[in-house]
Amino acid sequence: MLFFAIAVAGLFIADIAITTANPWRDLGQFFIGVATPNFFSTEGLMTALLRTVAFGFVGVTLGSLCGFLLALVYRFMPVRIFCAFIRAIHELFWALIFLQFFGFHPLTGVLAIAIPYAGIFAKVYSEILDESDPEPSRLLPPGTGAIAAFLYARIPDCWVQLRTYTAYRLECGLRSSAILGFVGLPTLGFYLESSFSQGLYSDAGAMLILFYVLIATMPLWVKPKLLPFYILAAPFFLGEGFPIVWGNVERFFTEDIVPSPLRNGEGLAGLSTWLGDLMVTEALPGIWNTIVLTQIALVATGILSLLAFPLISKHFGGPVRRTSGHVFLVIARSTPEYILAYILLQLWGPSMLPAVVALALHNGGIIGHLIGRQTNTIELRPDAPTGFTRYSWELVPRVYRSFLAFLFYRWEIIMRETAILGILGIYTLGFYVDSAIQNIQFDRAMILILITASLNIGVDILGRYIRRKLALQTMPTC
Amino acid sequence: MNIKQIRKWLVSGFLALVATSTATAQTFVFTAIPDEDETRLVERFRGIADYLSEQLEVDVRYIPVKSYAAAITAFRNNQVQLAWFGGLSGVQARALVPGSEALAQGVEDQAFYNYFIAHKSTGLDRADELPEGIRGKTFTFGSKGSTSGRLIPEYHIRERFNEAPETVFSRVGFSGNHTRTLRLVESGTYDVGALNYKVWEKELEDGNINTNDVKIIWKTPGFPNYQWTIRGDVDDRFGEGFKEKVREALLNLDDPALLESFPREGFIPASNDDYEPIRSVASELGIID
Amino acid sequence: MRDFAFDGLSASFGGQRVIGPLSLAVKQGEHVALVGKSGAGKSTLIKLLYERLTREASLVPQGLGLVNALPVFHNVFMGQLDKHPLWYNTLTLIRPFRKDRDVIRGLLDDLGIPDKQWTPAATLSGGERQRVAIARALYRQAPLLLADEPISALDGPMAHLVMQALTDRFSTSVIALHDVDMALTYCNRIVGIQDGQVALDQPASRLRTSDIMTLY
Repeated sequence: MLFFAIAVAGLFIADIAITTANPWRDLGQFFIGVATPNFFSTEGLMTALLRTVAFGFVGVTLGSLCGFLLALVYRFMPVRIFCAFIRAIHELFWALIFLQFFGFHPLTGVLAIAIPYAGIFAKVYSEILDESDPEPSRLLPPGTGAIAAFLYARIPDCWVQLRTYTAYRLECGLRSSAILGFVGLPTLGFYLESSFSQGLYSDAGAMLILFYVLIATMPLWVKPKLLPFYILAAPFFLGEGFPIVWGNVERFFTEDIVPSPLRNGEGLAGLSTWLGDLMVTEALPGIWNTIVLTQIALVATGILSLLAFPLISKHFGGPVRRTSGHVFLVIARSTPEYILAYILLQLWGPSMLPAVVALALHNGGIIGHLIGRQTNTIELRPDAPTGFTRYSWELVPRVYRSFLAFLFYRWEIIMRETAILGILGIYTLGFYVDSAIQNIQFDRAMILILITASLNIGVDILGRYIRRKLALQTMPTC
Repeated sequence: MNIKQIRKWLVSGFLALVATSTATAQTFVFTAIPDEDETRLVERFRGIADYLSEQLEVDVRYIPVKSYAAAITAFRNNQVQLAWFGGLSGVQARALVPGSEALAQGVEDQAFYNYFIAHKSTGLDRADELPEGIRGKTFTFGSKGSTSGRLIPEYHIRERFNEAPETVFSRVGFSGNHTRTLRLVESGTYDVGALNYKVWEKELEDGNINTNDVKIIWKTPGFPNYQWTIRGDVDDRFGEGFKEKVREALLNLDDPALLESFPREGFIPASNDDYEPIRSVASELGIID
Repeated sequence: MRDFAFDGLSASFGGQRVIGPLSLAVKQGEHVALVGKSGAGKSTLIKLLYERLTREASLVPQGLGLVNALPVFHNVFMGQLDKHPLWYNTLTLIRPFRKDRDVIRGLLDDLGIPDKQWTPAATLSGGERQRVAIARALYRQAPLLLADEPISALDGPMAHLVMQALTDRFSTSVIALHDVDMALTYCNRIVGIQDGQVALDQPASRLRTSDIMTLY
């Protein structure tokens, strides 16, 4: 209730408006574009698709390996903090950072995915490993090496879960990889942005369709037997990029990100005025907008997922309805929110509205899907009521707890996304980060990114606290 | 299971290194600020790449980037050696790369100007100074790092109203580039916008503007704008006198189709000092330190 | 295997003493059956002994402690992980060596599950799982066996076969059993546990079923 009230209050403060004179015409043109896709527009389209897959694979592979190693030492506090920190920074921010010194080298894209993913993998892997049955390890003959014990008694027990989660993350990785194109890496987003900003909706439609097909057919082409082949081949398809100049790396860390008052020898006094100015003019408005937007999007997500889950629930409607419901939810959840927000911003003009709708559609699609699937395992008594009564008396009460669990789990994810949407021109933290980078003020950008990260960590802790308080359990989603 | 994975990882990591270290070493690479529709930029600068490659007898490659900052960063990081910058981005880039210099500018870039344009619903008409009537309207700049899309319009708005754009207008946005500014004001997403006159005239000539929906309300005074800027260390890398060869090639560019694609009448020599006015305005607005 | 003797064995659970303090001494060659009602403290006593004798004892716990995702072979092989270097163990995980396959196959043969060597433990029946845990204990070749209800899921002839194998191959053993006849047949010493205390301690030859039933 409290959350709902906050969101309603947020609505009054927030800037939501359709500023386009003719939004529906644009939206119509966009749908016509999707209906008449032009697959032969850009010569680079197939290459972009290939690069998207390649960056996804290499990034996720590297991330999962590092994450696995981190998971082994995850019980140590510094490791936990480190992992929380690296996963609190969005892939796009990482990419923006690496672009400053690696430039258009494939490493930029690979690390932008691998680093935050390593943090997430470390956390989830360690949770999975902790849940494995401890009994077999206790029974091993004393003197068994730690590694052998781990290989025999721990890994096999959670192997399936580790694999399922990694495969799921691979899908997320493809989405992340596509988005990286928006900041200039040679993946799908690069061409999508170009086509959209020029109003070439048929080209953009073709790219979106190809992307959905790519994601939807993953079970067909990602087979355990083929994985080694993909992982070996992927690095060859990252593209050449430009050689790394190591001097740039050194310069970035020793000069660029050093706050300018320190660089110019103005000392601590200069630093505090500088920081104060940064806080007042950029950080605080950014934090405020980020929080407002996050809360509205969170509640909108909740409402949408409650509305959406009957679409795929077997307790409502026939197979035709359910199939179309599935298609809708698949599209909603496999479109990265960044792309959704970008599309809606192009169509409706800049305000918080497109961001809220995009976040709610994407996250509501995910939660709706999970909850809907959960209702399919519920067996109702034969004389159970039908229609709305069935919905409100039989189903919602049964799934309400896991619904809340998912929602609070995604709280932090929504906030991370909200911050990043600022790059598109909504005044959240990402806007100020992007502005600082556009002005070549990396010191400011770094401080703002750190603030964003701490905000995410804070919400993560709060969300976890609430879930524990309400005794809610979930599997991680992305 | 584990050993297999480690092996896979080692092999693929090694291959990644091999694959990336063979990237081209002696290609002369240039970029341009993404101030217009990308298709147009790619078409224009591929032509330039072919031309330069012929004149300089080295491989020349153009890379498109997604933002002004990306162009500056690529130049600073020596991943590109030459760039077609705007006034402001050129000043920023040259400040970051000691020894780099403005080589050539378009004939028109000596006294470039901007149009403020407005959607018909505002009822605003062309005037000799920025009309008071734009107060309270919505307004879009081009890119955050643009001279004619951001710096000069903001400068004139502050001069005229003595206030920040955020307080003059009810909403301030950044369209991304000049073409987008035109489209957004034409469609009424924003009431008012400011853009580079060259883009306006080129689009007008191509019949891409519905002049019933959008019109010019003010023309700014002139300022120095676009220029080719080159890194100071190109001679070390591509041979003695390379910088001069590039300058010559640019100044001698007389292919009408190529010039038309910019569109510029031709290129004339430029120097870093030509952009001092831009630097001081940017510094006044706090865009550069 | 030396003889062992412990004094003051005790354990509490949630502030409630479940066993002891009690003393137990076992000599080489003894096969001790722990009998008594469920909840009397037999499992706890087995656990306490294992904690003190880990180095020299094979344990068959009530929960069996199988790794469900691994095939029977590997579950049994885990009994000797300490005897091989890491590379050997890792390779075995991917592709077992012939000699280990033969040894373990022989063991499974004796226990009546020769065809299950490559079946994942998860898909086995209760009785089969129990025999896998027993095979693992046998494979470890420790001098002492500690087993907690090792034949609870086995039917008549199979139970006899397994008890025979266990008492033959371990020179000394402590086995918690609820089947009194089995205890009398295969063990040579009976220890009755009641409310966490030793209530009976006699050679099997001096006892009859009815003597033990008083504990229940």
